[in-house]
Order: sequence, then C-alpha cells, then structure tokens
Amino acid sequence: MRPHPSAEDILLTLRKYSHLPLKIMEVCGTHTVSAFRSGVRSVLPERFRLLSGPGCPVCVTSQGQIDSAVSLADIPDSVILTYGDMLRVPGSRGSLADARARGRDVRVVTSAMDALSIAASSPERHVVFLAAGFETTAPATAAMLSAASERHIDNLSVFCLHKRTPPAVRALLDDRDLGIDALILPGHVCVILGHEPFAFVAAACGRPCVVAGFSADSILLAVLDLAIQVSNGSAELHSVYPEAVRPEGNERALALLDTVFVPCDTTWRGLGRIPGSGFRLSPAFESFDAASRLGLSASEPPEPPGCRCGDILRGRITPPECPLFRNACTPTAPVGPCMVSSEGTCGAYFRFHEGRSVSWETI
Amino acid sequence: MGDYLTLGHGSGGRLTNDLVRRIAAEFPSFGSAQSFEDCAYLPGGFAVTLDGFTVSPRVFPGGDIGKLSVCGSVNDLAVRGVRPEWIALGLVLEEGVREEEILGYMRSAAGVCSELGIALVCGDTKVVPRGTADGLFVTTCATGRRVSERDLGMNALRPGDHIIVSRPFGRHGATIAAQRFGLDVPGLASDCAPLWEPASSLLDIAGLRCMRDCTRGGMGTVLCEWAEGARLGIEIRENDLPSDPDVLSVCDILGYDPLYLACEGCMVVAVGAAEAETVLSRLAAFPSCDGAADIGVATEGHPGIVGIRTAIGGHRVVDMPVGEILPRIC
Ligand code: SF4
Repeated sequence: MRPHPSAEDILLTLRKYSHLPLKIMEVCGTHTVSAFRSGVRSVLPERFRLLSGPGCPVCVTSQGQIDSAVSLADIPDSVILTYGDMLRVPGSRGSLADARARGRDVRVVTSAMDALSIAASSPERHVVFLAAGFETTAPATAAMLSAASERHIDNLSVFCLHKRTPPAVRALLDDRDLGIDALILPGHVCVILGHEPFAFVAAACGRPCVVAGFSADSILLAVLDLAIQVSNGSAELHSVYPEAVRPEGNERALALLDTVFVPCDTTWRGLGRIPGSGFRLSPAFESFDAASRLGLSASEPPEPPGCRCGDILRGRITPPECPLFRNACTPTAPVGPCMVSSEGTCGAYFRFHEGRSVSWETI
Repeated sequence: MGDYLTLGHGSGGRLTNDLVRRIAAEFPSFGSAQSFEDCAYLPGGFAVTLDGFTVSPRVFPGGDIGKLSVCGSVNDLAVRGVRPEWIALGLVLEEGVREEEILGYMRSAAGVCSELGIALVCGDTKVVPRGTADGLFVTTCATGRRVSERDLGMNALRPGDHIIVSRPFGRHGATIAAQRFGLDVPGLASDCAPLWEPASSLLDIAGLRCMRDCTRGGMGTVLCEWAEGARLGIEIRENDLPSDPDVLSVCDILGYDPLYLACEGCMVVAVGAAEAETVLSRLAAFPSCDGAADIGVATEGHPGIVGIRTAIGGHRVVDMPVGEILPRIC
C-alpha cells in the first residue's frame, strides 16, 4: 500500500484543479462534521463546495416516527432505549427529552446489546429499543434480536427506524435538479456493504465517487481524487479507505441483516417516501416489532412550516438560505432535525459560524 | 413543552447560562456588581463559593463524589486568588444507601481538606425517601481569604495575552462517559484534583490576568465565556493543545469534542505575553499540571468569538455547546 501523503502535499496538488467549479456531496453526517471540525472546508479552493447529503440518521427520521416514539414512552411501564442524538429531535408533540422531563423512562444507550441486559433485569417492564441508523447500526440491532430470540426474552421489542443508504442516494441522483458533480461515499456504511451497492453512482448515474475515511487527510484525498476524475471526465468508484473497507463488505454483518430484516418502503424527512429504503423485521422476527405489538398507528403529520430540511438534505440550498436559520431555528430551539443533531447540516453551520466571515489575526 | 427543565439546562453550556441569568434576575439585590464568576468576593477580604454535586457513577477512576465535592468548590476559590480555609457541607441522602458507602466518600473529602489545611466548620444532613435522590447529593460551600489584591476575573483579559492550559483537558468528562456507556479504557482516570497550590504559585506574577477552572462545559466553554465577557477575541492552535490519547479515543467512539468535556482539576490562565514562560515554568513544578501548554492569544479582532487553527492549517470557530452533550449514533 502506498503511504498516505500529508495534508500539505494533497492541498498543493489540489491547487492545480482550483479552476474547476466542483460541487461534492458528502453523504455521511460524520464527514460533514469532520470537514468542519478539522478545518477542511476552510482550506479547499474557493470554487469547491462541500454539500451535506441525507447521511445523518437523526435528520432523516420523520416527524411521524418521532411522534410514535414519544407515544411509546407514554405507555405505562415502558422503558425507551435510544441512541443519544435522537433525544432532542422535536416531533409534533415534543421530543423524547421532553418526555423524559415529564417523567417517562427514556434512557440513552450506545449499544443495542444494552437492551438485552436491561430487559432481563426488569422483567416487569416492557423495554423498547429505538433502532435508528443506517447499515452501520442495523447489524447490531440484528445481533441483539438474534440473541433475544435465542434467549426467549419477550419483554423486549424494537421500533425499527433503520434506513438503507443506497436507495436514498439513488433517489437523490435521479433528481434532475440536483447539481452535484461527485460524491464522497459513507466510509462506515461501506465497511458493512462493500463497494458494489454504490456502483450505480458511477456506472448508471455518471458521477465519480470515492469511499473515504473520516480524518482530514482522508477527506482531502477523496476531494483530490474527485477533482482529478472530474477534470478527466471520468466517473469511477474509488476508495481511499482500504484499511477499513473491503470491496466485498462485511459478510457476517450482511448475512445477519438478511436474516433479521427485509427491505421496505419508508419515509425520509424532507425526501418523502423512497421505495426499498427502509428495513423492517423479517417474518421470523416480527414478534419483536414494537409498532404492531403495542398497536401503534402510523401517521405522518405535516413537517414544521417553513423548515427547508428537505432542500438541505438534497443539497439544493445551504442553511443560511433558510429564512428560519439563526432566527426562529437555533440549537436551543430547533425547528427541524437538521438543527438538532450533532451531525446535522444546520447544526454544524450554526456551531461553526459557517457563512459568517471572521478575520483571524494570528491563526 | 418549554416549561420543563431538561438535562440540557444543567450541562454547563448556553442553556445553563441563560437559566442562571433568569434565576439571578429574580433577585433585585444581585446587582451587576456580582459578575458571573465562580466565586464572590465579600467585604473584609473574604470570598465564598457554593457548588452542588451529583455524579453517576459515584465512584470513578481517579476519585469519587466526596473528593469531587471538595475539589470543585475549593478550585473555584483558588483560581481567583483565594486561599480556601473553611468548608461547609450539605448532604441529601437517599433512604437505603449504606452508611459505610457515605462514610467512604466523607473520608475522601476529608483527605483533600487535610491536604490543603481546610477545616470543616458546619454541615447539614437530610435523609429523603427512596427514589427522590440519586443516592446522595452533596453541596459544599467553601470560604477563605483573598491572598491577591487582584480580581483575576475575565475583565482583566487584554489583547495579546497568552492563554495557557494547565494539563490535557477533558479527562473527567471522558472518564464518566466511558463508565456510563461501558467503554473499557484502562489508562483513563478523572483529573479531579485541588488547584490551590499551582494557582497560588502564580499570584505574584505581575502580568497574570485571569484564571478559571474548567468544569462542566470544558475548556471550550471557558474560552467562549471569556471572549464574550471580556469582549475580545481568542485564537488557539490545535497543534499546541495538550491532549490525552485516552480522552481522544473516547471522543472518537462517542462523537464528542474534547474541548467541551468536563474537567475537575484543569485550569486556564491568561497572562501578558512577556510572562507566559514564567507561568509555564512555575506550573511545571506540579505533577497535576503535567503537560501545561501555551495554546493561544486574546485578540482585539472578532470580539466574542473563539477560533482555532486546525492541525491541517485550516481554521474554524469554537462555539459554546448547547444542551446536554449526547453520544451520536454511528
Ligand atoms: S435552519 Fe432549521 S428550519 Fe431551516 S432547514 Fe435547517 S433545521 Fe429546518
């Protein structure tokens, strides 16, 4: 393997392409935050733009799904287990954090497996795991459910919000208005899926794409690769993250996903219903489905008026172009989920003061 | 919905700041004379501070709630040039907690007191029914006499001052998060420690401007409060930040920014440029200040805004965190 060039070297080479207007979408929210935090955005040539796509699992969870999660918390004797950033997302009746403040039992976990021990230690309660996230967290949910089924833990269910990345990327690229030249593919998702599920980006949609890791160097290397491809007029799938991503993916995780889930249509906040873009429990695991077990009726309330998360997630506008940004919508009082999550585009723009110019004196 | 407090109101960032200001506004006597520093100067050269403690887990690598409760309030005095001399202790204990457990915490609290020559002068104990307190809540009120004439508050900050941090930051927050979320990080321990000795060693430095111990909200929040309070800019350099690899690995897993993780024995010092080296050489004498570093400067430009030069030579704004710091999904 060739050694990674330094950030300085990459930037030097990148200058050769600085005449290109280049719009790159990073699909994954972790890339968005890393590009801000590490200062990558501030060192790119002026005509290069990084736009954040729909890759923050919190941001794309629909209002109806948040409302359902809050209703689950309202059921007496239920314990809701959730990943952290889901807690503050506002639904039409408040967030899970509000439910917790009202005395509901809502707990933050970092691993799906925690559900097993919590359910086993409180047999009189019904434990609901809010299974959110992309193909990165879905295998953990799947592993937890296989264990739960083997151990016959029955005071446990899963509210399945998992989403599949490739169909959403496909839906975005099929949108003719989308002015995206190239894509940075989500490294963590590719660890599981491998390269093949994203092959269509280059082959069918004609956009160069690169699987990247999350360090500043890896993102810069991906940007350079894309700039070279765009300037040559080529469109291929490359990887600058071979140390973590095998082209064939993680076969064990994929097998687990196949056993526990089946693809289904689902609603993405701002993007609407996308065929095949969700996971639901397969017939063998249906008994763990919280929605049917606790009689949840699904409804989709209208999205908050004025919120342009949909356009943000499509890369059509940047947050400062939303009239609510910084006015009615701030991290303390978020209107849309893109402002709530630590990985949401609006939240990142707000925190890092993007769109405001600051003239530094010494740095 | 807005009527309920959420945990975010207690996490030391923007929400906490706003809540504290609304509470203070209910007291007409709380004039502008009292700034929002960590301790208050009283007539006669005395100073007082009060701090409440609740932590889960109550015992963690590097300390427990007893040690924490003394270090916390004593450090608030120390960074403002006040020698901690007396402490008052309030305990709210939950029915069902074992007495021996409580006494264990009191032994660690007493250990810090005797190390610093602090006398326990009064206290209060309440026992409340099971389920109404999370084991125990500890409140400490520390008082002492000013050793320095100077204010050492953020108003003393001047453009060109150097900003120095006393050790790698974020250890307490990372330790608690690792314990809570079941991450096994063998070398990681809280930085919980008294700061009186290192802080007092700096008091005779003429160019010393202000000091602050970083607690909830971490070092990033202190810098933001200084920039806003002093109406100056602050610029720091990522390459010069002392970092602890164990803290970074916790941050990596949970998606935290170490700048915002709580510390319990780490202070930020602002000093005139000419004496920055003196501060560093004085701090070098204390094991609890291992890794102290000069990390940046105060500027006239961009008042109220803190910026950082990143490792790759870029830059970005460091803003005050909002709400509870939550681990991300993936
Ligand atoms: S700024 Fe707020 S309202 Fe506007 S798109 Fe972002 S989250 Fe939605």
